[in-house]
Amino acid sequence: MAHVSDFLTPADLQRISSLQVLARVVVEGFTTGLHRSPHKGYSVEFKQHRQYVAGDEIRHIDWRVFARSDRYYIREYEEETNLRSTIILDRSGSMNYKGSSPGAVSKFDYATRLAACLSYMMVHQADGVGLVTFDDKIRRYIPPRSKVSHLRLIIDELEKSRPGGETELGQVFHDLVPKLHRRSLLIIISDCFGEVANFLKAMAHFRHARHEIVVFQVWDRDEIEFPFRGWTQFDCLEQDGVKHLIDPAMVRQAYLENLAKFRDELQFGCRKQRIDLVPFFTDEPYSKALAAYMTRRLGRA
Amino acid sequence: MNFLNAAMLAGVAALAIPLLIHLFHKSRFKVVKWGAMHLLAAVVRTNQKRIKIEQWILLAIRCAIPAILALMMAKPVWQGAKQMLGEQPTSTAVLLDNSYSMEAGRAGITNFSIARDEAQRLVGELKPGSEAYVFLMGEGQGLLDHASRDLSAVTQALGKVGAGYGVARVPAALDFVAGTLDKMTGNARQVVLFTDFQKVSFPAADERVFAQSLDRLKKLKFPPTVTLWDVGVEAKENVAIESLDFPKLMVGVGQKVQIRANIRNFGDTARPDLRVTLKVDGREKPGPAGSQLSLAARSAGQVLFTHVFAKPGSHVIEIETEADLVKADNRYLASIPVREKLSVLLVDGAPGTTPDDLKSETGFAQIALSPFFAGKVEQADLIQAKVVPVNGLNAKSIAESAVVVLANVATLSDDQLKALEFFVNQGGGLLVFTGDRTDAAWWNGPFAKSLAPLRLGSMAGDPAGKPGATTAKVTAERFGNPALEIFNDPRNGSLSDAEIKAWFRFKPPERTGGPGDPAILARLDSGDPFLAEKVHGQGRVIACATTLDSDWNSLPARPSYLPLIQRLCVYLASNVYPPRNLQVGEQLVSFLPADMAEKMARLTLPDTRTVELLIVKKGERGVVEYPQTQRPGIYTLQPPGNPAPPPLHYVVNAERTESDLTRMTDVEIQALAKTHDLKIVRSAAEFKALDKAQRYGREIWKPVLLILLILLFAELILQQLFARRRRKV
Repeated sequence: MAHVSDFLTPADLQRISSLQVLARVVVEGFTTGLHRSPHKGYSVEFKQHRQYVAGDEIRHIDWRVFARSDRYYIREYEEETNLRSTIILDRSGSMNYKGSSPGAVSKFDYATRLAACLSYMMVHQADGVGLVTFDDKIRRYIPPRSKVSHLRLIIDELEKSRPGGETELGQVFHDLVPKLHRRSLLIIISDCFGEVANFLKAMAHFRHARHEIVVFQVWDRDEIEFPFRGWTQFDCLEQDGVKHLIDPAMVRQAYLENLAKFRDELQFGCRKQRIDLVPFFTDEPYSKALAAYMTRRLGRA
Repeated sequence: MNFLNAAMLAGVAALAIPLLIHLFHKSRFKVVKWGAMHLLAAVVRTNQKRIKIEQWILLAIRCAIPAILALMMAKPVWQGAKQMLGEQPTSTAVLLDNSYSMEAGRAGITNFSIARDEAQRLVGELKPGSEAYVFLMGEGQGLLDHASRDLSAVTQALGKVGAGYGVARVPAALDFVAGTLDKMTGNARQVVLFTDFQKVSFPAADERVFAQSLDRLKKLKFPPTVTLWDVGVEAKENVAIESLDFPKLMVGVGQKVQIRANIRNFGDTARPDLRVTLKVDGREKPGPAGSQLSLAARSAGQVLFTHVFAKPGSHVIEIETEADLVKADNRYLASIPVREKLSVLLVDGAPGTTPDDLKSETGFAQIALSPFFAGKVEQADLIQAKVVPVNGLNAKSIAESAVVVLANVATLSDDQLKALEFFVNQGGGLLVFTGDRTDAAWWNGPFAKSLAPLRLGSMAGDPAGKPGATTAKVTAERFGNPALEIFNDPRNGSLSDAEIKAWFRFKPPERTGGPGDPAILARLDSGDPFLAEKVHGQGRVIACATTLDSDWNSLPARPSYLPLIQRLCVYLASNVYPPRNLQVGEQLVSFLPADMAEKMARLTLPDTRTVELLIVKKGERGVVEYPQTQRPGIYTLQPPGNPAPPPLHYVVNAERTESDLTRMTDVEIQALAKTHDLKIVRSAAEFKALDKAQRYGREIWKPVLLILLILLFAELILQQLFARRRRKV
């Protein structure tokens, strides 16, 4: 079934300045016609009975079972039926890359819209959503909540955020782990540029803390195809003064090989840790991201 | 290293173009704010060196391509060690075309004058110690006898050379020069041929001969370089008198002579009123009709003149048309000896009692030859006949005569036969009549071996003329021989009128048609030959199957007898003299009385120079020979004596092949040069450059071209190799 968002390219959606509106357009367009609407909700469901032990709260005793069996049983429920998600958004300089094709959006803009859409959808499903923005360190941490007013906070933060600074995924993620007290779904929106080993180590740390992780890796087509011709000076977006004047044709092959190696390592590492690595291209609709989230969400359900 | 076309070297600057393009591109780079620097930086770091090297290689190749192209177009010459020998003297053979066609050209400047001046300069500028030899192709001889190191003498002599000579034969000239070059001493040798590239000088048919001549040069120990120097400015307009038809038989005083000139217009312009004049002995004959001729473009016509010579002696007639640039073919000369007396020696094999006895074998003939004398008329006979018995025939009497007639002579002594053979060999005429005394054994023996045109067979008919005996008549036919041509006109009588009662059957000739083979001039109606002719040496022998007198025939009683005998004698006498109308290069020979031997005769050449020639005694004659008749014109021979005997005129005419001034096309010239690997130059500057290259080194544009091609391929391949990644998208 077609969705509104299928017909709207990121470039079209860019014209919608308000992330709130954008998120609504995208998400509601996406969710229309889904077999299981998020609005039907997931009620608090019974899980099991266990024997009462000293210290348990008395209000949790199932009196009906006591009446039948004359034993104290505690009625256990699913601890938290609503999903807790934290969107970890990379706002480092490299995310500021904007492709050479007309109408292109920068990776960061794409990433913020993606984050907005995700947040909107989560909140409207009564899932808790939080936001972490970082570059070489954590810039903002908004803990997950499921209130609609919380969405406002997240979207404001997304609109405020400007990319810049270096990426230091490994360190940032290590720093982040203690802040995320409860296990949750971590949605990392980043280009994942940097040392693969550090990144994977940080992921391992997250996994150790029993977090589910989805990595939305944002790419620009230029980074994949390296289509440049003629003498070109590449100025680094993260470090001032780092520049290379080259004939791109001369290095293209080597670059592509290097790129493939990078992606393979990343993919391999993520698979090993059961992390979904979903590549995104800035010229693709956000619906893919939402679908990926939904898959994950339903998988957890 | 030297360059033939140094101006093109400026093109080397084009190497800056790829450099500028490179710098331009490098300076107009794009700036991209790049995120994935960690991917790119590693690549740049590890490949930077390789990329730089690749770029430098490509840049170097791209810069080299235009530079090498310019280098190639500058015609580089590799000198190597030869440069040290640059100042070495050369041996140069200059072949100068001074045929008459070289007189063509622009107004005031003929092709020849250009060629001569260039040749002079060329010789003058040779390195000190060089030797030069100049061969004049029109004359077919060297300017000097041998190669000379005295270059100033050669240039001086060159200054005096003129054109207007006969046909230039290039292969022959090259062959001649090959011999001279072989004797020259320098190691560096060259042949420079100045030519107008007239088509006739390089006929396609002679291509093989030309190649052979060039081959001969190449096989010399020090093979010379051959350069053709094109001095041709094509001038098509030319009118030439191609030939003259004038009497082949001897001309007598008072005889009306017809002279027909064949004139051709080689040009593309019609000549509506071409004036043609006849000069006799240098004086113009007052204008008879027919001296105006209208000639269309590329057509031929004729003009007829008549003349009566009043005085005996050597005369020169000259037909001339209005002058165009090529003067040599505007006139045609003919030397016509006009005789007052022609000495005929009648050898009587059956003499009568008195000298004028008609019963003698030669009685009728004597009257027929000298009718005025016999008739005691106050008028001079052309022919002076002298009758001698057989024993009166000797070297002396023979030498005094132009024609010897043997009438019914049985045999001759060996000495007599030998003297007679020498006489005929030297151009004398012999007329032999058979008769009852004819010794068939002698005839078919020694006489047939030397002089007799045909062997004798049996006798036919009956001299007594009994009724019923076989008789014969001369077959009436159209005669081709000049002696009998007169009877082609019935008004001059007919040979068929006479009855031949008896005759010898000549055996048919073994061979006919070839030079020196017998020819049948007239036949009897019995099929037997009546008159047979054979060329022997320079002279001729005519044998008749019947008698000279009326014993075996009725010829003497017929009106045709006198013209027959006179014509035969004149015809035979017409060959007595060595030819006076010569072609260029033919040897001039003159027979003079034996008493002039060992004296000097003076020959005046067409250019008014004179040469003294020794008269050599040969047999009973004094002989003068002069082979260098390359220049067309009148050669006047003054025999010695006091008072001086009348001069003899010889004329030399050039072949008219050179009159067609059509030049080879540029394509043909290029093809010629390519086929035979010759160099063609058109100016002194071109020659100098070429000479420098040839002497100091060799052109290396071919290897340079190879390098260029290799570079082009290398650029293509390397670019593909380096940019292979670009295609693997």
